[in-house]
Amino acid sequence: MRERSEPDAKNKARKAAPRRGKNGVSQDADRLAAFVRGFAEGRYDARLDPDDFADPGLAAVAAAVNAAADHIVSQMRTAQQRVAAVGEGVDEAIEAMIRLVVQGDLSGTLRLGVTDAALTPLVAGVGQVMETLKKFVTEIREAALQLSTSAAEVLAAATQNESSTSAQASAIHETTATMEELKGASHQIAENAQMVASIAEQTLTSGRQGEGSIKAFMEAMEKVRHNAVEVDEAIGKLSRRVERIGTVVDVIDEIADRSDLLALNAALEGAKAGEAGRGFSIVAAEMRRLAENVMESTKEIKNLITEIREATHAAKEASDGNKRMAAEGEKLGGSAMHNVTGILTGIQETSDAARVIHLATQQQRTATEQVVQSMSEIEEVTRQAQAGSRQATGAASELTKLAERLAELVKRFKVD
Amino acid sequence: MSGHSEILLFQVGARVFAAEVYDVVRVGAVRNAQEPELLVRSALGEPFARNRGIVVASHQGGTEHTLVVDQILGVRTVPESDVHPLPAFAAECLQSPSVTGFVLVDESPMLLIDLPTLVREQRASAAAAPSP
Repeated sequence: MRERSEPDAKNKARKAAPRRGKNGVSQDADRLAAFVRGFAEGRYDARLDPDDFADPGLAAVAAAVNAAADHIVSQMRTAQQRVAAVGEGVDEAIEAMIRLVVQGDLSGTLRLGVTDAALTPLVAGVGQVMETLKKFVTEIREAALQLSTSAAEVLAAATQNESSTSAQASAIHETTATMEELKGASHQIAENAQMVASIAEQTLTSGRQGEGSIKAFMEAMEKVRHNAVEVDEAIGKLSRRVERIGTVVDVIDEIADRSDLLALNAALEGAKAGEAGRGFSIVAAEMRRLAENVMESTKEIKNLITEIREATHAAKEASDGNKRMAAEGEKLGGSAMHNVTGILTGIQETSDAARVIHLATQQQRTATEQVVQSMSEIEEVTRQAQAGSRQATGAASELTKLAERLAELVKRFKVD
Repeated sequence: MSGHSEILLFQVGARVFAAEVYDVVRVGAVRNAQEPELLVRSALGEPFARNRGIVVASHQGGTEHTLVVDQILGVRTVPESDVHPLPAFAAECLQSPSVTGFVLVDESPMLLIDLPTLVREQRASAAAAPSP
């Protein structure tokens, strides 16, 4: 077309040159400018007539401009045709993709009737998008499946957790109640330990008084034993004196007996002497009466001595018994002192232990109160956790439904 | 002093006897007497306490024997009317001739003993008895 237009433009420019002068060149230039402006404004069908140009050179330019315009218009038409073809191809690709997406069938390969090389990247891109979609759907299906499984597990775990939390809350409540009882028991134990410590203190005081009494008792026993020894010595002296008296009495008795015999014989001789011995007999009888009185007295003295001997013997035995009893008392007192010392030690240890128990139970009570406080806080937290577990169970249940719903939705896409 | 008798009262066991003071040589303690001279058991019985001995001379007057008694109660002077010989029947019933009668002392009858006869009887009886 360009070859066909160029000779016509040259001829038209040659013909116009002789008819127009210097004014004609200006007009030609104006004409060219107007043409170019109109082409630029979209008037692609207009053409210059080279013959109308006075100036041959401008006529040639006009012809060249026409040729250029023709070429441009031709190129534009070709481009428009390609654009239309590409647009159709794009529409086809988009429609095919939309159709596949709407139908949910991603199993096949996207086949387009587009032949334009310019659309090859688009087709490739669409195919890549489809593959990506297919991959996404596959992964989403797997993820939905896993999500459904996990949601079920989460639901089961949340249910289990809720049950455990309820049981835990119940156990904590019972533990709190038990700790409350324990606190009361600790208080009672502390009071009892205080009472034991007080009683032990009183017992300790009494025991010390008893220890003093035993010491006094042992001192008294020592005095008793000492007195018993002195009494024993006195009894010994008394016994020796009595024996001496007995000896003297025996002598007196012997003398009285002989006097009695003498008196008897005197009376006998007096009687034999008859009237002459009468006075002698009276004196002898009197002597005999005296001797008998003496013997009677010595007999009484002997009886008394016997009684004194018996009493002395009894006093000696009693004194020996006192000594033995005093020694036994001292021994028992020593044993009692030893035992009381042991008891005092035990009571002291008991008092100390009771004091330690009192202190420990007070600390235990304080600790128990802290534990009760902590258990109350734990109970509150557990209640909140229980509420959270219920919410988690509800959320897990909702999540399970959503996972199932997602799985149902993903199932609509066919990828295999 | 006529109309009175002097008698010696002595006790052997539970009984009190009487004897003429002229039959008694003396009174002594048994512990001072020699064993062969002692006459412990006699027809009067056996003394308990054996406190006194009545020294009696034999009829021959050569030897003295001691009659062991429990007690010498003393010498009493009694009226002759209170001294009585044994009744004939009683004397016949008694085997020993040493009891010669009885005497009332404070209105109580007591056997009157002939001490030399009693000693002689006991000696004769002891001599007749087989030696152990």
